Amino acid sequence: MVTTKNLQFAYVGGPQFTFPDITLQKADHLLILGPSGVGKTTLLHLLSGILPPSQGTISIDDTPITDLRRKALDRFRGTHVGIVFQQYHFIKSLTVVENLKLRQGNPKDASEKARRQALAERLGLEALLSKKVTQLSQGQQQRLSIALGLIHEPKVIFADEPTSNLDDTNCERVIQLLKEEAAICKSSLVIITHDHRVTSHFSNQIRL
Amino acid sequence: MKLGYLAYRNMVSKPLNLILSLALLVLSVSLVTYVVQLSKQLNGQLSKNITPFDMVVGAKGSPLQLVLSSVLHIDVPTGNIPLQEAERIAKNPFVASATPVSYGDNYKGYRLLGTKLDYLEAYGAVLADGRHYNKSFEVVVGSGVAQRLSLGLGDTFVSSHGLAAAGGEVHDDKPYTVVGLLKPTGTVIDQLLVCNLESVWEAHDHGTPNKEDNEEHEGHDEGKDHDGKHAHEHEANDHQDHPHAHQELEEHADHKHSEHDGHDEDLEITSLLVKFKNPLGLIQMPRYINENTELQAALPGFEVQRLMGLLGSGVQTINGIAIAILIVSGFSIFICLLKTIREKRQELALLRTYGFGTPKLLLLVLYEGLLYALIGFWIGWILGRLALWITSNYLQSVYGYVLQISGLDVTELWFLGVTLLIAVIAVILASTSIFKLNISKVLSDA
Repeated sequence: MVTTKNLQFAYVGGPQFTFPDITLQKADHLLILGPSGVGKTTLLHLLSGILPPSQGTISIDDTPITDLRRKALDRFRGTHVGIVFQQYHFIKSLTVVENLKLRQGNPKDASEKARRQALAERLGLEALLSKKVTQLSQGQQQRLSIALGLIHEPKVIFADEPTSNLDDTNCERVIQLLKEEAAICKSSLVIITHDHRVTSHFSNQIRL
Repeated sequence: MKLGYLAYRNMVSKPLNLILSLALLVLSVSLVTYVVQLSKQLNGQLSKNITPFDMVVGAKGSPLQLVLSSVLHIDVPTGNIPLQEAERIAKNPFVASATPVSYGDNYKGYRLLGTKLDYLEAYGAVLADGRHYNKSFEVVVGSGVAQRLSLGLGDTFVSSHGLAAAGGEVHDDKPYTVVGLLKPTGTVIDQLLVCNLESVWEAHDHGTPNKEDNEEHEGHDEGKDHDGKHAHEHEANDHQDHPHAHQELEEHADHKHSEHDGHDEDLEITSLLVKFKNPLGLIQMPRYINENTELQAALPGFEVQRLMGLLGSGVQTINGIAIAILIVSGFSIFICLLKTIREKRQELALLRTYGFGTPKLLLLVLYEGLLYALIGFWIGWILGRLALWITSNYLQSVYGYVLQISGLDVTELWFLGVTLLIAVIAVILASTSIFKLNISKVLSDA
């Protein structure tokens, strides 16, 4: 599902990163571990196609995204890639449900509506749907952020430090949620973290 | 989700920002639409009112005042002229039609105009109900007056002296009867009560019931020189009944009336409205009258043009200021959009990860800019119309003129186009940063 080869990235006048080759099968999980500053977020941005690498190739679902043009890449990312950001990003002028709809391809479609409802229920967001995102608590924002990463049933979900701000109980809960949801939509799951509490949950691991 | 909806939500999520950036646009649009409408309507109304007549003949004074008073009915008359002299002019071969008008009384602020039925024909006024007057103290009512004073057929009223609503002597012994109602003409007739000339003469006949002993003095409250044609011989016996009249009449020191008491020569009219057979009359008659008689001839077309020329420069100045404000408002929209784009960098980057391409983001900003322009335009337009309505009410109460509160007209449509164009330019200038958006950097910056 996700394969990389000779992936390198250099910031202008900044550090240069060389990343190990990655191969991830469909619906498999991968944990990428490493301390701060080794380019974890950079790798996630490369993999999700929001940052072009200096060298090397990335394929998602047999599509070489490093060869895609800007417009095609935007479209590919929109349908096949889901990202759970380290910092929560929402459209602040919209409500919770509007944010979810915005992420769906065809929000008026009956099946997508059902998916939205079911997901909101599983993540405990159903009572918050008509609230403004700015009214949500930290934990509610975390769950909405997860929902936005996978509501469109992407081929692969990238999660950047999803547990960094959470206590042990919630950390456990979020990992479970991600795994369950990835299983429901048969997505591959890539988690990037420095949080060692997560390591025991994943067998497939890479250390940077 | 529709981009337009998102643009709308983005816009209303910061109402204070919205108001601030719209204030200038609203001011500019309301100013331009108000001034353009006002000058256009005044111009249109004035030219509609003067078209039936080529020349006005009245007492000496300001030609503009003569036109304003006798044709447009928004000023006091310059004085009176002898009917005999007016009739001499009417017989001139250049003259196609000559309509005498005489006035000086009002009913609740609306002028009672004594004239011949040609006057109604000249303005194309037709009866909506009833019949034309055929004897004294019968009156045909303009549509505007009828509506505002709720006058119907058979109603009677008494006029009061002078042209203003309050303070005049009431002629309560000579009630008028409404015999006809006119259809709306969009001209000055709508604001008039029209009767025959004799009514005006008789209303001011304070003497014996003898009809021959006419005297009339409309316009004398302006203190103009009437060549002493007023009859005052009745003063002594009429004194107690009409103390006001007495006071007013005393101003006219000269009393010659007794010399030709009881003759038609004594009759006066306020002015004579003339239509020429051909343009030659327009060239020769006014000059002849002004040089060789005690009368004054004025050309409504010329006077109104002069008046509009004066108003026009004022209109242009205000429009110039409004355009300057519009340009500044373009800047304010630009700065507002620029600020929005800066503030929403992360959201725009997020939308890119959702699969929205750069063109869609540009469209989003464009929608937002156009929404600003549209909302600003409409608020401004409505305020402009509101101001026009207030002005109309004022003009109505003071001059009896009514402005039409119309929908969007062609010039305003152009103006809307200019406003939208300014918004588009502001969007283009503000959105260059969207092309350079570094999603990765923006999204990892906290």
